[in-house]
Amino acid sequence: MTQPSAQTHQGSAPYEGLRLNGLTKRFGRFTAVDGVDLHIRRGEFLTLLGPSGSGKTTLLMMIAGFQDISAGDIALDGHSITTVPAEKRNFGMVFQGYALFPHMSVRDNIAYPLSVRKRPHAEITARVDEMLELVQLTKFDTRLPGQLSGGQQQRVALARALCFAPPVLLLDEPLGALDKKLRIEVQAQLKAIHQRVGTTFIYVTHDQEEALSMSDRVVIMQNGRIEQLGTPQELYQRPATQFAASFLGKSNFLHCSDGLYALRPEKIDICPATQTAGAPLGPHRTTAVVHSVTYFGSILSYTVALPDGTTLQVDVDAWRGGPTLDRGAQVTLDWPDEAAVKLAPDTP
Amino acid sequence: MMQKSGLGQKINRVWAIFLLVFLVAPALVALPVSLTPKRFLSMPTDTLSLRHFEKLFTSPEWISSFVQSATIALTSAAFATILGTLCAIGLWRISSRAGEVVRAFLLLPLVIPPIISAMAFYRLFVPLGLIDSYLGLMLAHTVLAAPLVLITVSASLAGFDPRLEQASRNLGASSMTTLLRVILPSIRPGVLAGAVFAFIASWDEIVVTLFLSKFNVYTLPRRMWNGIRENTDPTVAAAAVVLIGITIIAFLIWALVQRRARTQNS
Repeated sequence: MTQPSAQTHQGSAPYEGLRLNGLTKRFGRFTAVDGVDLHIRRGEFLTLLGPSGSGKTTLLMMIAGFQDISAGDIALDGHSITTVPAEKRNFGMVFQGYALFPHMSVRDNIAYPLSVRKRPHAEITARVDEMLELVQLTKFDTRLPGQLSGGQQQRVALARALCFAPPVLLLDEPLGALDKKLRIEVQAQLKAIHQRVGTTFIYVTHDQEEALSMSDRVVIMQNGRIEQLGTPQELYQRPATQFAASFLGKSNFLHCSDGLYALRPEKIDICPATQTAGAPLGPHRTTAVVHSVTYFGSILSYTVALPDGTTLQVDVDAWRGGPTLDRGAQVTLDWPDEAAVKLAPDTP
Repeated sequence: MMQKSGLGQKINRVWAIFLLVFLVAPALVALPVSLTPKRFLSMPTDTLSLRHFEKLFTSPEWISSFVQSATIALTSAAFATILGTLCAIGLWRISSRAGEVVRAFLLLPLVIPPIISAMAFYRLFVPLGLIDSYLGLMLAHTVLAAPLVLITVSASLAGFDPRLEQASRNLGASSMTTLLRVILPSIRPGVLAGAVFAFIASWDEIVVTLFLSKFNVYTLPRRMWNGIRENTDPTVAAAAVVLIGITIIAFLIWALVQRRARTQNS
């Protein structure tokens, strides 16, 4: 089910990076993570995307060392770390809700990983100053976490997790507590910081926009398994299953004689029936009636009904897409062959 | 909102004051009795006297009992605080059904009537040669006081975010470092409250003490008990006043700690 490009390595040593082999976690009779095989390349920004209960957070907790492993193996640069305890793994982590130490100042929070490693005082001060600058919190170093805004706390958590230069940074829905506008701002900051520090980021989220906008590669998870793995473009343009197509972006599903196809709403051309009277018949040309129109600012979203009763969603650029069609208007739809993607049957 | 019925409010207030007096008055009786000029337990009539306080603070027996009680109470409070805190953290970490069974067992000393505990300690300590020894009484008081610490620390831990512990370990700290630098600072109010309760529990413990002590160990409550039984000596009342005073001070410390913790949180 995975894309071919996801399985090839980018030059360098074959075992570089983080490798998960058949990773499984069972809670009693419930299998939360079910035989996950995944190679995370050094320095990449990989997102685990899935609905709640898909096993993404459990998988992250196993990588962090907080969750025992029922079966399988985790290896970093070719060495198994399955039995290494969390405190010896040297992985940074940004927790959901940040988990800043409430009784320590911003500076002491960021210095914590270095001070438990008994680094010299001067080195700690210099490094913390550097981190404070990276996350633009130099002026707040004596504050307590309770005196900071959510966005600032998130940056302290990031600085603390990056302070000891971990080879891997794990992020568990780090933007979940922020409001939408701030989230978009922080997404850009996170991505910039990733590029600056070059650490491998493993990012857990249920937000498809976060996954698309920040990641080098995205893993879509469902029922403890990898549903699909690929770059954001690959996943959006070539979804492999119905679940992948509907979870990442919107999609129409067409039942054809040879199986199920996904068709993105913006890939369907729509025009009034009257205008196409003389045009040649395309391969998928069909007539329909506009059922409803929803205006989203940048796009117009039509729900149209085909003669056989099935409804399709059609998205049109609100600015370039011509005049708005009214409810009940007769329209002609068409789309190129390559717009419809054949899907594999869903895994149960 | 303002209360409309002034009468109802007044009745409430009178009732509350009555209850308060009912609860506190018996303890306060010790105060006038301790000031009586007479040689037996009585209310002072025309003159007040500090002679019983003088006796309390000059008599070698009373001073010895005071020092013994303080030594035993401080030591068992320290033991109980360490044990109760570690135990609460352990149970919190395990957080399983088996752990809850263990917790119920550990709270038994609070539920079992003290007289039963006293008999059990007696049976156990006779062959061990711990009867009438400081160590024996300290151990017994530690067992009785540890559940109090377990309760207060567990209450503190209930409000502790387990992700802080995970964060500390993730950042490279050992279990011990995490305990000292992250967990303990966060649950300090509960630990201190537990220590105060443990001190008070040992400080005025009489039932187990009566069973386990003979001649060597003679704590303050035991001397008061004997004082009343044998010669109705008003020094007992003076000692009671001192005990009440110390208990109030201990509670004030606890209240201050709580208040500071609350202002720190907000």
